[in-house]
This record gives sequence, structure tokens and C-alpha cells, in this order.
Amino acid sequence: MKYIWFTLVFLTVFAFLLGYLKLLSQTLFALLLVTTFIKGQLIIDYFMGLKDVALSYRLIPTIWLFLILSLTAIAYYF
Amino acid sequence: MSSKIKPKALYPPGDFGIWLIVYMELITFGLLFIGYVFSRRAEVELFNSSQLLLDQKLGFINTLLLLTSSYFIVKALKAIELIDREKAIRLASRSIEIAMMLGSLFILIKIVEFSDKYAQGISLSTNTFFMFYLLLTAFHFLHVLLGLVILFNIRKNIKASKYTKENHQGMLSGGVYWHLVDLLWIVLFPLIYIMR
Repeated sequence: MKYIWFTLVFLTVFAFLLGYLKLLSQTLFALLLVTTFIKGQLIIDYFMGLKDVALSYRLIPTIWLFLILSLTAIAYYF
Repeated sequence: MSSKIKPKALYPPGDFGIWLIVYMELITFGLLFIGYVFSRRAEVELFNSSQLLLDQKLGFINTLLLLTSSYFIVKALKAIELIDREKAIRLASRSIEIAMMLGSLFILIKIVEFSDKYAQGISLSTNTFFMFYLLLTAFHFLHVLLGLVILFNIRKNIKASKYTKENHQGMLSGGVYWHLVDLLWIVLFPLIYIMR
């Protein structure tokens, strides 16, 4: 679980640096969306404990996360 | 070989009620997030210039605080399953106390941030960006406050030996709620503070 926490912290530092150093090109923006999805999925799987639960329960927050981030990409770039 | 495959549990951890709350919160915040990103399309310059008035460092620190508090909730849930009850109670309550302390720091930083914005004369009616910023962060702030009340009760129950290795459903439900608050912030932080 320590590794999960460390990954979440690392990805948060990455997101902060992108914004703080104003490095948000289109590619890095896409990468930010992907890393946000990974962070959310880690919380869903390991913190909320849905990794070893029937897929239907795990899919609900995963689909929510995917939908929000996809719509964000559409709203910002299309 | 087959002994390595762990069977999937039929139901998620915690009570059925807490998952109903989780889904309702996901829908509510989801609609607000979608409202934010599509409203931005009409006023990109205004959103970008208003966003510069936010303190990204405070948003970053708050993200770390919530992630770390969630980690301690997981530790508390692991500790309560220890066979040595005295050790289980001691470790679980200590982890919950750390999580509460981190959650309280989050609240404190948010109060500093809100006070700063209030001093600058920023309110819900300043512009569309700040309407969404205040609505989303204040709504989330209330969820953290409720989460702290839940954690306080969990700690009280741990101390009163109300949770056992076999039955700590209330603790699991409280943990799920706290992780939900964390998950919502994980989306809120890049959306409001970083993406432009």
C-alpha cells in the first residue's frame, strides 16, 4: 500500500509542476488527463477496495472517472 | 497455480447505504465538473485569467494531505484486523487520529484560501469561474467536514472496542466515504487549479 501512496504522491507532484511551470502543451495536457485517471483508478482499486470485488461495482466509479475526463478533453480541445 | 487466483467478493466493502451515497455524490459532482468544463468554452480568457488568482501551491499541499490521510485510513482498517486486540485498538485509533489531523489541516488551508478570496472581494457573483470555484470547493469542504465527524465517531468506537476483526462494517463504510472525498478532490484539483 505504501507503493500506491508513493505513486499517487509522485503523480500529484507531476500535475503540480505542469501547472506551476506553465508547461501545459496539448500533449502534456493529455498526459495530465491520463495520470489523473490513473490516480483515480488507484484510489478506486486500492483505497476503496474495489479491486477484488465483482466487476459491476468496480466499473461504476471507473466509468464515471473516464466520462468526466473524456468530456474535459472534448471541452478543452474540440 | 490456481491457489494464486483470489476469488472476487460479491459485494464492495462497507454498507449498501454508503455505496448509494457514493453513487449519488459521483453524479452530483460529475454534473458540476461537466458544467464547469463546458461553461469554460464560452469564456476561456476569463477562466484562464481568474485561475491565475488561485494559489496552486495550497491546492497541491491539500492534495497531498488528503492522499496521505486516505493512506492512514487503509492502515487503520488493516490494524483493526490484528489478532492482538490491544495492539489492534492502539494502532487503528492512532492511524485514525493521524488521518483526522491531516483532514483538519486541509480544512485550515481551505479556510485561509477562502478568507484570502473574501478579502479580495471575490464572491459567487464575481464571474462564472469563481461561481464554479466557490461552489465546487465549498461543497467539497462540507464533505471533508462531515468526513471528519465520521472519523471522530469511528475513533470513539475503536476506543470502546466496538469493532472486531470479523465485524467492523461501520469502519469500512466510514473509510469508503473518506476515500470518496479524496477521489473527488483528485479530479477537482487539476480541473480548477491546473488545466488551462
